[in-house]
Amino acid sequence: MNTQPSHIQSHRHAAPDSQGEALSALLDGELPAEEARDVLQHLNGDAAARARFAAYVAIGDTLRGQAVRESDFTAQVMAALQDEPTVLAPMRQQDTRRPLLWLAAAAVGALTWGLWQTLPNPDPAASMVAATTAQPVPVQSADVQAYLAAHQDFAQAVLAPAEMNFTRVSFVGGHP
Amino acid sequence: MSALRRVCLGGALCLASALAQAAEPLSAADAAAWLQKVANAARNTSYEGVFVFQQGGAGASQQTLQIAGKPTGHDTQTRLVSMDGEQREVRCSQRASFTLMFNGAQLQMEKRLNNRHFPDLLPAQAAPLANWYTVRAGVPDRVAGRECDNFELTPKDRFRWGYVLCVDKGTAFPLRAVMVNGEGQPLVQYRFTDIRLGASPRIDSKPIPAIPDAARPVQNEKIGMAALPPGYARIAAMRRQLPNRPGEVEHWVFSDGLTHVSLFLEQASRPVEPLRGESKQGMTHMIKRQVGAWQATVLGDAPWPAVEAISTALEARP
Repeated sequence: MNTQPSHIQSHRHAAPDSQGEALSALLDGELPAEEARDVLQHLNGDAAARARFAAYVAIGDTLRGQAVRESDFTAQVMAALQDEPTVLAPMRQQDTRRPLLWLAAAAVGALTWGLWQTLPNPDPAASMVAATTAQPVPVQSADVQAYLAAHQDFAQAVLAPAEMNFTRVSFVGGHP
Repeated sequence: MSALRRVCLGGALCLASALAQAAEPLSAADAAAWLQKVANAARNTSYEGVFVFQQGGAGASQQTLQIAGKPTGHDTQTRLVSMDGEQREVRCSQRASFTLMFNGAQLQMEKRLNNRHFPDLLPAQAAPLANWYTVRAGVPDRVAGRECDNFELTPKDRFRWGYVLCVDKGTAFPLRAVMVNGEGQPLVQYRFTDIRLGASPRIDSKPIPAIPDAARPVQNEKIGMAALPPGYARIAAMRRQLPNRPGEVEHWVFSDGLTHVSLFLEQASRPVEPLRGESKQGMTHMIKRQVGAWQATVLGDAPWPAVEAISTALEARP
């Protein structure tokens, strides 16, 4: 039984370029959050798609004239996909236990946080509640990441990679 | 308080504090004077160097940044350059601060909302910190090849985390700063690995294209505060966009000078489901609840009591 969302299905079974378009759009941060998440989950289960994604990364880097560190970036993406935590709903308020929020920037570290700069944020925590567990459940929420990034404008104020209101300024030939 | 506290800074490097018998807290006056001396040194010194920024304890990932600072009249200009990962640069002065991101031929810029960063961690008026933190002298040490002295800033209550600062012997310039929790475990660490004090860096002051402010002022405040934890004051309030999210929120920042707690106010379009949480290593806490017609999210790098106190004190204005 194929339970994949329709847009993934259509990407897989339609003209081969559709899947490539989805991967390319993912890389450019042009997919809406829900679609991006679906594509990422698809990547997780499809080796061929992963290879293709890695190729897109390499192509993009080459086009932008960056040194080919694509293997590094790919490894980071693959690691992130494997590490992607189970997303669970916040505990009900009746529960006396406090939910543990997995605040990405504070908990996971600069590397993974930087990774999600180029890929769209994952879906807000909106899926299944964990089965029986006596422990507080980790929750990853795009909202929380946004608050945390905004907070770090004042709290740590180093190169916390919070993208805000970008103004694209192009300088022909590289650095100003 | 145990006779000997050890602050472990990750791996095998454990900083043995001199609390054993000898070290008394500095008097309030001495503490205030020392704090102000360090704050001034960070602002009034020309320097060039490289520092490492790390969140968490041993094994946590690090950022390496090249930094140059130059006092100019009443201001300080700084430039930071990322040494790993994406190529980014930060340029700060009181007048305006920017983050620059280089992607091949394209330059992305964003205005920063704050112009302070390590080593300028203490506020301009640093003496009042002595009201909220006990300052104790620690052991001499060596950081980035320079002799330095450790000082422990221990919170006087449960509303803030502590710090261990290692400052240059001659100049009191901060060479290492570690935010620590109640057990002395490191939460955040800044550490110079290379430093040249007194160097005259050339910080490019080429005019940067005008870009709009990232925030605008708050008008008609809808929320009041019944009380704040000791030492905290609101240091900023603005309307701004959250990263990667459309729309505007109100962002307030409370601080005691070292600790920062943010409040985000948004109109509650539907009943707000209360949420509490803490980061994996317990440094950051968050409470989201409804206050009047608003969703109020309090998030801070501070112990639970501080975040709870601020969240509880919010009241909707009629």
